[in-house]
Amino acid sequence: MSDITVKINSQECKAQEGEYILNVARANGIFIPAICYLTRCSPTLACRICLVEADGKQVYACNAKVKNGMNIETVTENILKERRAIMEVYDVNHPLQCGVCDQSGSCELQNYTLELGVDSQTYSIADTVRESKNWSSVLHYDAGLCIVCERCVTVCKDMIGDSAIKTTARGGEALDKSYKDTMPKDAYAMWNKLQKSVIAPSNGTEQTNCSDCGECVAVCPVGALVSRDFVYTTNAWELNRIPATCAHCSSGCHIYYETKPTSISNREEKIYRVTNEWNYMSLCGAGRFGYDFENTNVSKDEKAFALAIEAFKKAQTIRFNATITNEEALMLQTLKEKLGVKLVNDEVRAFQKFLNAYSDASGKSLYGSDFKELMNSDFIISVGSILRKDNPNARYVFNNVQKMNKGAGLYFHPIGDTVIPTFGKSVETFNHKVGLEEAVCYLILDLFAPKDKLSDEVKDYIESFKDGDTNGLVELLGKDSAKFKASFDKMMGKKSSFGLMVGEDFFYHEKSENLAKLIALIEEVTPLNIAFIPPKSNALGVSLICELDDEATGYTIGYNENGDFKLSALGDGNLDIPALNQQEGTLTNMNKKVVPTNSALEYNGYELNDIMKALFDVPRLAIDWTAYLPVDKGFMSHEFDSLPNHYTNAGVELRGYSLVKFTREANEIKVDRFDEKAILEGDIVCRANPQRQFSDFTDKAHQINEAFGLYVSDAKSKSIGTSKAEISFGDERLILDVMVDDRMEGDIVALPDFQSKHNVYGLFGTSRYKIVTIKGV
Amino acid sequence: METVLPEVTAVGVIIKAVIILAVISAIAGFGTYIERKVLAFMQRRLGPMHVGPYGLLQLIADGIKLFTKEDIIPAHANKFIFAIAPAITAATAFIALSAVPVFPDFTIPEFIPLLGGTFVPSIASDVNIGILFVLGMMAAGLYGPLLAGMAQANKWGLLGSARTAVQFLSYEVVTGLSILAPIMIVGSLSFVDFNDYQNEHIWLVVYQPVAFVLFLIAGFAETNRTPFDILEHEAEIVSGYATEYSGMRWGMFFIGEYANMITIGVIASVVFLGGYSDFFFIPAWIMIILKVAFFFFFMLWVRAAWPHIRPDQLMWLCWKVLMPLAVVNIIITAVVMMAMA
Amino acid sequence: MSLEQFKDRNVGVQNYRQLDLPQSPTTAMCKVKQVAKRSLKGELFVGLGVTVREMVSTLFGKGLHTTQYPFEKLPISPRYRAIHEMLRLLESGNYRCIGCGLCEKICISNCISMETRYDENQRKEVSAYTINFGRCIFCGYCAEVCPELAIVHGGRYETASEQRASFSLFEDMLTPIDQLSLQQEYQGFGAVSPNADDNIKKTPLAY
Repeated sequence: MSDITVKINSQECKAQEGEYILNVARANGIFIPAICYLTRCSPTLACRICLVEADGKQVYACNAKVKNGMNIETVTENILKERRAIMEVYDVNHPLQCGVCDQSGSCELQNYTLELGVDSQTYSIADTVRESKNWSSVLHYDAGLCIVCERCVTVCKDMIGDSAIKTTARGGEALDKSYKDTMPKDAYAMWNKLQKSVIAPSNGTEQTNCSDCGECVAVCPVGALVSRDFVYTTNAWELNRIPATCAHCSSGCHIYYETKPTSISNREEKIYRVTNEWNYMSLCGAGRFGYDFENTNVSKDEKAFALAIEAFKKAQTIRFNATITNEEALMLQTLKEKLGVKLVNDEVRAFQKFLNAYSDASGKSLYGSDFKELMNSDFIISVGSILRKDNPNARYVFNNVQKMNKGAGLYFHPIGDTVIPTFGKSVETFNHKVGLEEAVCYLILDLFAPKDKLSDEVKDYIESFKDGDTNGLVELLGKDSAKFKASFDKMMGKKSSFGLMVGEDFFYHEKSENLAKLIALIEEVTPLNIAFIPPKSNALGVSLICELDDEATGYTIGYNENGDFKLSALGDGNLDIPALNQQEGTLTNMNKKVVPTNSALEYNGYELNDIMKALFDVPRLAIDWTAYLPVDKGFMSHEFDSLPNHYTNAGVELRGYSLVKFTREANEIKVDRFDEKAILEGDIVCRANPQRQFSDFTDKAHQINEAFGLYVSDAKSKSIGTSKAEISFGDERLILDVMVDDRMEGDIVALPDFQSKHNVYGLFGTSRYKIVTIKGV
Repeated sequence: METVLPEVTAVGVIIKAVIILAVISAIAGFGTYIERKVLAFMQRRLGPMHVGPYGLLQLIADGIKLFTKEDIIPAHANKFIFAIAPAITAATAFIALSAVPVFPDFTIPEFIPLLGGTFVPSIASDVNIGILFVLGMMAAGLYGPLLAGMAQANKWGLLGSARTAVQFLSYEVVTGLSILAPIMIVGSLSFVDFNDYQNEHIWLVVYQPVAFVLFLIAGFAETNRTPFDILEHEAEIVSGYATEYSGMRWGMFFIGEYANMITIGVIASVVFLGGYSDFFFIPAWIMIILKVAFFFFFMLWVRAAWPHIRPDQLMWLCWKVLMPLAVVNIIITAVVMMAMA
Repeated sequence: MSLEQFKDRNVGVQNYRQLDLPQSPTTAMCKVKQVAKRSLKGELFVGLGVTVREMVSTLFGKGLHTTQYPFEKLPISPRYRAIHEMLRLLESGNYRCIGCGLCEKICISNCISMETRYDENQRKEVSAYTINFGRCIFCGYCAEVCPELAIVHGGRYETASEQRASFSLFEDMLTPIDQLSLQQEYQGFGAVSPNADDNIKKTPLAY
């Protein structure tokens, strides 16, 4: 891809070969109207309003690519005529209920109608009854308002990967024939299509079967798709937008908390909804709907605070989790250095060990790539991650690569998933046995590593699996090697950039150190760009800032965790602390960026820094710690207030700063062979949350309703046979509701860890899989 | 010429005094109602309307208000003098009335027990220097506002008392001089003699029109009525001598003022307009009431029609116009009387 | 330096031109003449005449200017902006307010606040509405911006109350349902112009 220049309205614009005209114009601040186009998705060509004239020919700016020296005119007489006709058509039968519509004021239909000066109507047709429906627990679709731009359909397919909605027949009257001759051509074509279609769940029922991410709500240009909780509660202009960072998973997505006073009698701010810059990033359901986890009605409880100070003075261990800001992690690390307490963090410890092992082997302080880069690759591999459940952003990347880059993908995981294969035609899924993760790495080495770069030992080991045309590694991982070879060769056609995402299975693994070395080796010898999926919210930040210990001893303080003295943002502890939507601070996300978040809601109680102030001479505000984050770990000494948190019009992410990656000379990487006897057999349980649930905080949010239970595939639920099951980890046993996840396949069941009270990490130890006995009760 | 009057007894005098006190106090209060009504009508308004029919009970409401209002004595005031000053005003006004024939005399009918047959005189105390006594008593009334203004430690009060001294003392001269001519004609200082003289002859206003006008003008000044109410001229000195007064003490100034208005009305009626004599078919007691009522109304009428004058104009009027006129009037009267004699 | 300017305490007169003033008398004779003229001219009696004339005409009920206020009230202009009223639809009795929030937005003293929700009939319902009359400046923007003529200014100018809240809730301002027939169409600021029908453009949307 090379830099070229084009002229748009006689303005010189720099562009890259293969870019769409619309994106070039937007990046250069030139306005071209467009309704149906989404920046990171494929052009839909539903609205046709982005007509421009390129070198004298009318093209659609959203799907015409720039060529060097191209002359583009965005406004000509004919184009204006088309655009005006298109807007008139959109206004035909659109209900005049802007007064009550939730989108009023931020409605693209309103904006473009005004922009194009539509003050009279030339067209008419009988309206069709279109009723509003609730598609799921969060989605509300008012078909009457829908202009069928298909942005929701596009984003669901190209970005989210659920493909849960589609256009369907409206049953409206056919257009009057005379319009064909009298109307502008594109406007007629667009109307013809519009009049025939409406949006509906793609499974043919009234309910969508999807991850309830609400991205369709975000992209809807009109008020047709609104979240059920938000509908008719407030006008957009009454809301205060607070740029923040979602703290539920390690994606650390950019969000806006939109707040307004709770009610007439209660003037305290309340979060009404979460919005995002949907052109440049996508949210998951937890981020969009799991916002009301704040710690409410907290005041300064001096008695509890005094007890907390006492507790910190005698504490031997502090137990915390990954849902914590960098600053607070630094405070805890300071406590460790000054008071000698142990820091225990079950969510992060394994990841930290893995990261350290990787660094030791590769000489790099951080994994080489990030998910932005992976999104631009055209061959993506996922290992060790239940993509659908572990991290939405990783899943979106995997899907987007298939949809947008004509990409291919390999998915390695013991738990079968029906959604992944639907991402693209060139996706191969390996549902291998638990314990064969090292074999996966060897297969990747075999597939991607040039033979001359591998040491003889490794080369010989890989060759030892091969027998003629049969690749024993493929067979071991559960596929027919001949078939795989054929399809793999096809997948590799015209591919130039490769990505590998490494998930939680690898961190919580008996052999995680060897896996880390193997990943380091893969990164060194193959063209694969590698990124890790940090297991929970700020796992990367915590693993860099804190020196974690393995075992808790003695008097323990729990920070949003169980302990002898509990500080909790959930309102159930001995001392209240602010939740992450009431706090300022930075988080470190999976893209190795340190991103700021702001407090959306007021908090009047004590926070960790108050305890720090009572114990030592420390900065006044928690955000004053930002500049002291450890520089030797890649942080920079930037003041919190200097950190930006927004996207530019060209889609450039200006959020915080990227961690600095250190590289040193490394020795040759020695990897161990794997042991096939490590395969787990029997009833296996995997520690995995349902989609949209990540922690106690998502659980607290009222729109996130996935329950704590045993998630099983349809087949497995039939074999259990009852609605409750007892699951025994040796001595410990849990009785849980059996929840059917119809997108899971296979016999492995999933036990969530989002409720810290069940101490699920304690049951699993350092592994993510356990052999248990499951019986229906 | 007349039947000998019954003996004036102490009981009769006391009854007369009580009647005067009660009636005049009531009239003074009622006068405020009348004043408000008359002024209102002259200004196309209705005046008090809400308490009682046509606001008749407004008087009671005001009385209740005045009685129940907090009595404030300023911190730096001379408390004793501040407290008694309103009493001086009210007392002198009523004392002056003791020598004025307010109603014709009558005898309490026999059938009334205890007091039956008691003769009630027209004048509580028919002193033979009645006019002198009344004028002197009204002049003594100047101590009320004077002391009140000086005792209250207030600039406006002080200005008010200064004006009091200037105005009352000056117009005392005019009052005295203007009434001197009728006295010369009648040859007595007793009101009864005045009444009788006019009964025999003609109303004195015919002989002494100039004296009548001068007396009326001076009477406005003596009673502190518009256009000569510079003592408490609210546009200039807040409320003058009454600035710091509230409640019933303030109310006593008011009663005193209205009593003085009646006194002036009675004097003018008796001295110039024939007093309490029958007038053709109208009985005497109605005549005196009508005459006093006319003067009372005239004062209100003037208040509605005419503007205030400045203190310097007041002094100019007194010393340069009224007093010389009065002197000239006396001289002419004397010359004419000598000629007639 | 003479003290003349300090002795002249007639402050402010020096620079004024006095108009329509008669010549001041200069000699003693002139002064006497003036006094005599003024005394005998009878202007004072003209004043007395005027007042007594008014009194008599007032006594007979003519030319009385008093309105006995709490019992009698003068009609006020429809453009008067007193306490707001919330109107109902005349046919159905439903609230006219659709909860669009424009009044809340346009309010320059930021005193309107409302709560809306999605009701059982899939409509937007105003569940609570209040105007903080401690802050309202009665500018009339809310009435002008209201697309439904739902919030208007009424004639209730007697705003003394034990609590401001006595006026400020939706129900307090709403036309009582039993007085629907008495509801007056608003004529003031923001009302439909008399020729509104002429300004409507016909479109082909005849359905």
